Amino acid sequence: MSWLGAVRTAAGGLLRHKVQAVVIGLVLLVSTASATLGLALLATSSAPFNHAFGVQRGADVTVTVDAARASPAELAATRHLAGVTAAAGPFASSTVQVQSGGQPFGQFTLAGRASPGGPVDDVVLTAGHWPNGPGQVVMDTGGAQPGGGLQLGSTLTVTGLPRTAALTVVGFGNSITDTADGWVTPAEIARLRGPGAPASAQLLYRFTQAASFAQIRTDVAEVTRALPAGTVTGAASWLAAADQAEGNGAIMEPFVVAFALIGLAMAVLIVGNVVSGAVVAGYKRIGVLKSVGLSPAQVMVVYLSRVGWPALAGCLAGVVLGNVLAVPVLQGSARAYGVGSQQAPWWASVLALAGMLALTALAALGPALRAGRLSATEAIAAGRAPRPGRGYMVHRVAARLRLPRPIGLGLAAPTARPARTMVTLAAIAFGATAVIFAFGLHSSLNRAAQSQNLSSTVPVQLQPFGPGPGTGPQTPSAAQDAAATAALRAQPGTLHDVPVYLNQVKVPGIAGSANAWVFGGDAGWTGYGIIAGRWYDAPGQVDVNTAFLDQSGLTVGGTATVNTGTAQVTVRIAGEVFDPGSQAELFGSAQTLPGVATAANLQQYDVGLRPGTSVTAYVQALNARLGSNSRWQATTPDDGNFYSIASDLVGLLALMVAVAAGLGVLNTVLMTTRDRVHELGVFKALGMRPGQVLTMVVCWIAGPAVVAAAIAAPAAVALNTATVRAMAGTAHTGVPASFTQVFPPSRLVLLSLAALVIAVGGALLPASWAARARPAVALRAE
Amino acid sequence: MTDSSAPGDVIRLDGVTKTYQAGAVPALADVSLSVAIAEVVAIMGPSGSGKSTLLNLIAGLDRPTSGTVTVAGRRIDTLGEGALARFRARHVGIIFQFFNLLDDLTVEDNVLLPAQLAGASRRAARARADELLVRLGLEQHRNAYPARLSGGQRQRVAIARALVNSPELLLADEPTGALDTATGQEIGHLLRQLNDGGQTLVLVTHDPALAERYAARTVRIVDGQVAAPLAAVAGPAGGRA
Repeated sequence: MSWLGAVRTAAGGLLRHKVQAVVIGLVLLVSTASATLGLALLATSSAPFNHAFGVQRGADVTVTVDAARASPAELAATRHLAGVTAAAGPFASSTVQVQSGGQPFGQFTLAGRASPGGPVDDVVLTAGHWPNGPGQVVMDTGGAQPGGGLQLGSTLTVTGLPRTAALTVVGFGNSITDTADGWVTPAEIARLRGPGAPASAQLLYRFTQAASFAQIRTDVAEVTRALPAGTVTGAASWLAAADQAEGNGAIMEPFVVAFALIGLAMAVLIVGNVVSGAVVAGYKRIGVLKSVGLSPAQVMVVYLSRVGWPALAGCLAGVVLGNVLAVPVLQGSARAYGVGSQQAPWWASVLALAGMLALTALAALGPALRAGRLSATEAIAAGRAPRPGRGYMVHRVAARLRLPRPIGLGLAAPTARPARTMVTLAAIAFGATAVIFAFGLHSSLNRAAQSQNLSSTVPVQLQPFGPGPGTGPQTPSAAQDAAATAALRAQPGTLHDVPVYLNQVKVPGIAGSANAWVFGGDAGWTGYGIIAGRWYDAPGQVDVNTAFLDQSGLTVGGTATVNTGTAQVTVRIAGEVFDPGSQAELFGSAQTLPGVATAANLQQYDVGLRPGTSVTAYVQALNARLGSNSRWQATTPDDGNFYSIASDLVGLLALMVAVAAGLGVLNTVLMTTRDRVHELGVFKALGMRPGQVLTMVVCWIAGPAVVAAAIAAPAAVALNTATVRAMAGTAHTGVPASFTQVFPPSRLVLLSLAALVIAVGGALLPASWAARARPAVALRAE
Repeated sequence: MTDSSAPGDVIRLDGVTKTYQAGAVPALADVSLSVAIAEVVAIMGPSGSGKSTLLNLIAGLDRPTSGTVTVAGRRIDTLGEGALARFRARHVGIIFQFFNLLDDLTVEDNVLLPAQLAGASRRAARARADELLVRLGLEQHRNAYPARLSGGQRQRVAIARALVNSPELLLADEPTGALDTATGQEIGHLLRQLNDGGQTLVLVTHDPALAERYAARTVRIVDGQVAAPLAAVAGPAGGRA
């Protein structure tokens, strides 16, 4: 027989086994879509930053020094320290308070640089020109500074100086590592320093080893040791900038990768099962094919082709689906966090397609080789009946159980083909693990969302976005602040309220600035998730987020020096709170952080409600009380786009994996019904009713499903804990223990039923086919 | 439900035609036939003549394309699959050429199976199975698996299984076809003993000797039609020509 004939034979086999072909196609569709999505998220979360970091020669570390304490020669000598591969600076710098349009615009670090280029931190000018005279500034577009809306020609006013200075925005630039918020000419810096301000300067370094905060601390310590004591006043690393640039796609990586791995493992299992089932079921056909002249290689081709075509179709459709899924996920992530547009790279599709096809070929090769090696007589003799003599004891026990006989017969059946049973059990276990894991992760993400948004403890906020005169978030007047406080106190249902102030502060070791959230009263009730330590309860104490600790190298219980712009205070870190992201945050009272709780920094009022108070009714009533002209407006906190996107994605991936597992079960039950079609005919001839046949066939898979549930439950708990921790690690935060404790025993038992649902769902269709089969037809089957 | 059979008939077929594919030659064409209570009827014919199709229709394992099939007083050609299964469990016992025992069940469990499927009480089913195992000389093999038994023993297990629900009608499809001559005769005697006890029996066989020796009447099927009936032989009591 020619090779073309072999392929024709395979095509004939394919048409006769449509369900198996559909199962292979769908399983690979699901797995390839997961893999494509996972690869796309991996790529888009890190590739753009890494590329730009290389091209722009980003600074591993920006060291801030007091130039008055070291000579230019001493500073220059640090370029030759061990581990330093490139250096730039010193660039004189100054941290200033800025107003725009008469409104506070934030605290900015400005550096004096004669040109944007250099061996480290090549600033890319995106608009305008580099400052070439006094009163000119180029603003950074890459950082996450407050404000916005600046244009070329906008004027910024630097306050806090003996003589107010005006800066005109002449350009916009991007420093990949956010070494400064803006750049002026070197001569300009002296004009921007207040009396008594230190002679700050920036030194930019690239090191041989700077992959972690720990390595960077070592690098900075080396520089610090090389300079006179007190020279180094701060250091910022590239890691914080990388986190900001990578956005939240990176946070989703752990669970997408987890689902993709589950999908891949299931695809291998199910495809292997389908192909080996096809070989076993086709023993007689193999024998006949060989007896009419097919060579072993041609038999292999027949069986590989039988898998290959539906696999190729499934993989191609999976790549398309993966890209379709990636678009809203990446766009949503980009929109929510302002990281620009993101698209799945082409190589993610190619890699997913090639990888899945290779895995399929590997899974199919063993059974196909076996088919090729079987002699014609062996194959015909082997037929397709399971080997007798297996499971006698199980059948005997099942017969003695006080169960309806079809159930006993069904429960004992898996012993006939232990290998197939094990593979199916594994597929169900993977599917159930995915479902339980998805529910757990959904709960964990809900807790994270509630903890981050404080939606359960602070259901209402007053924010300065009301329809007063003008547009945008302008500062309400003192009279409006007083009116808001009075309205809150008078409004029935108010349990707690506290004004919240926000300003940026400088802390040694932290990139750029840290956000200081200052409460004008008791804020213990606001319910921030505590990872370690406790909420502050005395003046001089603050709580901080994990990014603050990571970037500063401090720990809970330690002390930090905080420059609020008007004062420098030493505070003790009472606790680590859950506030993900690479932006360093600290939380304290107005007493602890003087100078922050000003009318200009009043950000919002957090409001707690008495139990039973309707949030909607409260918001409406409070807004009515505030009046239509107030700038303060009651609102409910944003639930958070990321959690919504992540929860939707988790649900979708879990559904896809569960469907794939169900298809695996369908395939197994289908193969088993084909193996046992004659036996089913005998049962029917003896009086087994269709309902009893259905019950028996479903019970074939019930035993493995129970075992799968017992495996899936602890596996899902472990996977959820590991994934939440990995996500938290990616978001540079720890997590409160409650985030991973989302499986009370009763819930876990209930969720474990997912294994039975998958098994029964997958078995029902072939079981109903078996139940409907005419006994005479079944008895005629070989 | 129409009862079109004459009193005393266990089986009545009227104008039964069975076609497996539209346009194809019918496997059975306009067959009419009746079998009385306690009668032994042999159905003979060459391969492909339609005798197994006829047996399947009588057993309710298949449905006719046209015509009516009445067994044990019930019109079964109109029943659904569930009702047919119940009907088979209560009224029909079937013996197959190749025994069709379930290899992973013991002899006793094989025999018990139809009673369990029919919903008989455990005690009653076990008592009936015990009785049949003793009667058929299988008592010492009750815990054995079919693979360990001889062909004759297996067929006796199949007969016990067919009788466990005390059916009105016993159908045997080539019951001696897979057995050597001596064992075949042994099974033939056993069937005759059953008929002596009043059991109605329809045998499908290729073996004229078996038909001649044990059947009161032989129905010859040729090309899906009933050929001219052969003369009745002196047979068991209750036989009707």
